[in-house]
Amino acid sequence: MDTSFEEKSAWIQLASLVIGLGGYLSFAGILMSNGINVLPAFVPFLVAAIVVIVAINVVGHVAVAIKNRSVEGDERDQLIGCRAESQSAWILGVGVIGAIIALILSVHYFWVVHLLLISLFSSEIIKLVLQVVYYRSGI
Amino acid sequence: MSPSGERIRNQIRELRFHHGEMTQQHLADQIGVTRQTVNAIEGGKYSPSLEVAFKIAYVFGKPLEEVFQFDT
Repeated sequence: MDTSFEEKSAWIQLASLVIGLGGYLSFAGILMSNGINVLPAFVPFLVAAIVVIVAINVVGHVAVAIKNRSVEGDERDQLIGCRAESQSAWILGVGVIGAIIALILSVHYFWVVHLLLISLFSSEIIKLVLQVVYYRSGI
Repeated sequence: MSPSGERIRNQIRELRFHHGEMTQQHLADQIGVTRQTVNAIEGGKYSPSLEVAFKIAYVFGKPLEEVFQFDT
């Protein structure tokens, strides 16, 4: 596949987030199905997910940087990044507003934290998917 | 008349051929973008900024309208 460093970077970030968030949600689902919904029980899994995400990003970007001739982006990368960001940022906004409403309604903070977490990750994943789509299909 | 909705085609592939089969990488280096962006421009997947369009025309020594045209 003929890809620039920035496109490869988008793929690496996307893979890391899907693996990290997918792993966390799997373990969180198991805990919740066992009736556990206290936040401290989830922290180790969240920390593990973040470590996995960072590790995949570091290893992936180093490997790609070694192989690629240039790691510099250009105007096309900037345009694709800006457009993808502007079309995905609303997801985080909806999550934050939802969290505020949930707090007003006295929803347990466990759910508020997860609403914020999922909206943050979803926003980022959609942004990266859009970037990959724009790189492949044109902009 | 507004040409909105029309695609922009270009003669970059032909111009590269007539300039000693200039590589996409060589052109990219001269205009300050990545080779993948030159490839996207050539393939009609990306319309460059005015600045990059002028740089491409300058490299080939052609006026802008001989490099880029509306595909009517």
